[in-house]
Amino acid sequence: MIITKEVKMADLIHMNYFALSVLNRFGIELGFGDKSVEEVCKQNNVDLGFFLDIVNTFVDQDYFPKKHLQTFPVKLITDYLQITHNDYNDSNVPEIEELIEKMVDSNQTQKDNIVLLKKFFNEYKEELQNHINREEEVVFPYAHAIEDAFNSNKIDKSVIELMQNYSIEVFQNEHDNIEEKLFDLKNIIIKYLPQPKDVKLCKKLLHELFSLEQDLNDHARIEEKVLVPKIREMEEIIHKRFSEETKNA
Amino acid sequence: MPKSNFILIEQSYIIRKGLISLIEKIPNTQVISQIDNIKDIDNIQNYDPDFIIINSNLIDKDVSDYLSKNLENVQVISLSKDHNTSFSEINWIENILLNETQNSILKKINKLIGNRISNMPQRYTPDEISEREADILRNIALGYSNKEIADKLFISTHTVVTHRKNITRKLGIKTVPGLTIYAILNKLIDLGDTK
Repeated sequence: MIITKEVKMADLIHMNYFALSVLNRFGIELGFGDKSVEEVCKQNNVDLGFFLDIVNTFVDQDYFPKKHLQTFPVKLITDYLQITHNDYNDSNVPEIEELIEKMVDSNQTQKDNIVLLKKFFNEYKEELQNHINREEEVVFPYAHAIEDAFNSNKIDKSVIELMQNYSIEVFQNEHDNIEEKLFDLKNIIIKYLPQPKDVKLCKKLLHELFSLEQDLNDHARIEEKVLVPKIREMEEIIHKRFSEETKNA
Repeated sequence: MPKSNFILIEQSYIIRKGLISLIEKIPNTQVISQIDNIKDIDNIQNYDPDFIIINSNLIDKDVSDYLSKNLENVQVISLSKDHNTSFSEINWIENILLNETQNSILKKINKLIGNRISNMPQRYTPDEISEREADILRNIALGYSNKEIADKLFISTHTVVTHRKNITRKLGIKTVPGLTIYAILNKLIDLGDTK
């Protein structure tokens, strides 16, 4: 089901409560009564088109936004992605670490196994951090530069050089699969780890891992379906305009 | 998780039923036989229990000898009205009182099951993969490349790749660090072996 602006915000949450994290990132608080998505967005100064794209990408894996250029600016997308990065660093990852730490403390008999998990997650955390840094230091600034050039009257030669050294295509190809390790970690716990004494902790940990995985997948889909197509389209237009401008000059 | 099997030896139907409903609240447990007359104690030999719960009033010298002679790996739990009735010849692992609360009994049994499982020897060949695949996996976990593994095992690199694909498909684990953890959990390698 595609979420449209007429859908009630409350129904969206009933449909997929993980979408709460999306609302959170837009600064939308609960208690919206029977208001529609459109009304709640307006009330919170949230760009409706962008919100719909993000939320639909989140609830439906096969959703593909159609209009890229006409709607919201790139900055909105990168800001949103930046907030999700902050969420991973400030909340998801520390919570998982804390749970693993508690498991280490409460499992005298198989401490070694849990310590292995901890080591594995630490490696994963480092990988995730590298991934995040790469996006924040390379990809986001590049996307902003492309948008600035796209909106300017004249295409500067430096932008063309920038595009020769890097393009959104490169990002898409090098976009490593950081979900794989998380998937393995889940499977090891579900299928192979001898049941720890404190089963509750273990279930909580799994829940957190599933939740982080869903969010990372969503993050990747937003990049792949919203950010990349938009930048690619801009790149093409910039190239075209530049060759026309140089021809006319 | 391995199953824990119980045999109850107790005359009272009500108490047996009560105990069964309690024990079977715990996952992976099963009461495999009930004996209401101590004369039938020989029946135990037809089963392979992990725990026996027996009413302490039923124990005399003969029963005690029988239990200690025939059931080396079985842990015996007594069931009694009060603490003083334990027959000293038997190595009781636990005593359950008739007036004990549900929680307290569950706690005792859970603890016994936990101890039993953590003392069990680990298996060395995982069921999920073949012996050959376990060989390959061991080498992957030790940090060897496909080429190195091929040379060590006298097979082609192509065969190693095929084995790797099968291992990943069977285990649902894709990354080398993940496979390494699997190998350690299943004692294919020791933690100290990893590069």
